[in-house]
Amino acid sequence: MASKDVVEYASPARRIANVAVVVFLAIYLLWTILPIFVMFVSSLKDLLEAFRIPAVGDWSGIALFFDFQPTFKHYTNLFVNLNFGVYFFNSVAAALGSAVVSVTLGATCAYALSRTEFRGKKDLFFWIISTRMAPVVAVMVPLYAIFRSLELVGSLWGLILAYTTFNLPFAIWILKGFFDNVPYAIEEAQMVDGATRLQAFRSILPLVAPGIGAFLVLCVLFAWNDFLFASIIGSGGAKTLPVATKELVQPQNIQWGSIMAAGVVTTLPMMFLGLLIRRYLVTGLTMGAVRE
Amino acid sequence: MASVSIDKVWKYYGQTAAVKELHLEVADGEFVAVLGPSGCGKSSTLRMLAGLEHISAGEIRFGSKRINDLPPRDRDIAMVFENYALYPHKTVFDNMANPLKLRGVERSVIEDRVRKAAAILEIGHLLDRRPGELSGGQKQRTAIGRAIVREPALFLFDEPIAHLDAKLRAHMRGELKLMQRRLGTTMIYVTHDQLEALSMADRIAVMNDGVLQQLGTPRQIYDHPVNAWVAGFVGEPPINFLDCRIVEENGELRLVHPSFNLALRPEQAAIVRERYTQDEVRMGIRPDQVAISTVQSPDSFGGQILVTEPIGGDMLVDVSLGGDKVLVKTRPDFEGRMDSPCYLTLDRGRWHLFGKDDGVALF
Repeated sequence: MASKDVVEYASPARRIANVAVVVFLAIYLLWTILPIFVMFVSSLKDLLEAFRIPAVGDWSGIALFFDFQPTFKHYTNLFVNLNFGVYFFNSVAAALGSAVVSVTLGATCAYALSRTEFRGKKDLFFWIISTRMAPVVAVMVPLYAIFRSLELVGSLWGLILAYTTFNLPFAIWILKGFFDNVPYAIEEAQMVDGATRLQAFRSILPLVAPGIGAFLVLCVLFAWNDFLFASIIGSGGAKTLPVATKELVQPQNIQWGSIMAAGVVTTLPMMFLGLLIRRYLVTGLTMGAVRE
Repeated sequence: MASVSIDKVWKYYGQTAAVKELHLEVADGEFVAVLGPSGCGKSSTLRMLAGLEHISAGEIRFGSKRINDLPPRDRDIAMVFENYALYPHKTVFDNMANPLKLRGVERSVIEDRVRKAAAILEIGHLLDRRPGELSGGQKQRTAIGRAIVREPALFLFDEPIAHLDAKLRAHMRGELKLMQRRLGTTMIYVTHDQLEALSMADRIAVMNDGVLQQLGTPRQIYDHPVNAWVAGFVGEPPINFLDCRIVEENGELRLVHPSFNLALRPEQAAIVRERYTQDEVRMGIRPDQVAISTVQSPDSFGGQILVTEPIGGDMLVDVSLGGDKVLVKTRPDFEGRMDSPCYLTLDRGRWHLFGKDDGVALF
């Protein structure tokens, strides 16, 4: 697709609009970056330093934010005393585990839906996504009952299964679009070349890699940021970072330093993930929507 | 190497029959073109041969082996697809090596065979490119290369050069024919382009509406079409049809049209007397079998020039004959002008008569 010139001609309204855009972007940037910045800086501060806040209207007081002795004691506290290593592992395992299971099942199911015709296919396809239409809370109680009777509550496997329940329909919907865009002739050529159906399926996976990549990320994000499932299904044995962080808020003692540090620990991996697969994510989410 | 028997084969899609009781024998090493308009069942036939579609009824045999229930990989065939169906993420080399890799052929043998095939197809310098970086002709050669590295028993070509530009298509016709002769592999070649079929094939199977119309050599198909449909489909520019009547005068059968009244030859008259009872008949004659002149001669009859179209080596002339129109192919130096009168002579040895109702050829 050729990029196109956006043609603009100077006019007073245009100039005002240009300024307005810059102002808006500046405010927006501040609005989104500031909390993360405060979190990051506070996690490196002693509690006393963290609560030194300049008076309202005292703009020179902004320097106060940067006037501190960096300390890693909150991080040490998290990983040495509070067992965050385990919670971190739980989060990673639950997120990656459910992502891998969802992609494997979702890709095969999406492939089947994309390549075969059968009666009731549309209904089935709609039913799959309809499982995502109910809010999670609505099904939480029955889900909990089922999981408990299967003794899955409090286990990592239970958590992976729970996330998969919610990620799989999404996987099928996203990936079907990608498979639809791969010409069937490529698989036919493979089969004539001597491949089995399964080999032919595997051979086109590189062509849907952007879709799989994009979906893996969405899947990981969902699981990583989830609080509800983790606190109910995962409670006890499979505590993840958001739940563990929440538990730092105790009636007598809100451990602000550790909470900030836990926030950083939770946020950074996802930011890096985003940077790593940024290119994939963009092509992945727009491919299929736009035909060239 | 294999001969192919297609024995009373039907193909249904739901209630619609795409192929109706097709019977076709292809000899070992033969080049057979399956020719027909889109939707005539030719591609379905090819896909049944490849194993990409179920055979609804009937039997297909390679040699003496029934292949109805064999998956494509066990049929020892190679197919070239209309849209090439190359693997976009693989290089030309890997595309061509794919069938060999899937069969577990040794790396050194693969290397050797791919390079040989690439040399035949003159794409040796492109082996490291991906399909996205190739021109249409190069993609098509890669697809053919993927088919020939395998040395299969049977080639199936599905309109392989339909999407190339005209010049390259003409070039590839010769190359494909030469390649098939050299390899000696049985080839079934599906096309909607009668020129491809006439120029390349040993025999042509003309299909329409799921039914095999005629099977024969290109000469037979062109000179002796079995019905008006085949006569009309094969040949460019297309054959002229004129509705005429058969009239007996002085013991002689004559073909009568508002513009002419011409005697049938004795052998032609004998066929008509024996096989045809109606008066109404449809006469077909190809544009190059009509002579045109601006001066009258004994056997000629008059018409009016509508349009002249010089096409380089020849000239096409549209002539109005009463209410009918006849296309004539003549020399480029024909001096007739638009709207002026002209005189036509028909080559009576080569005209065809078709039944008015059923279109079946009398001769």
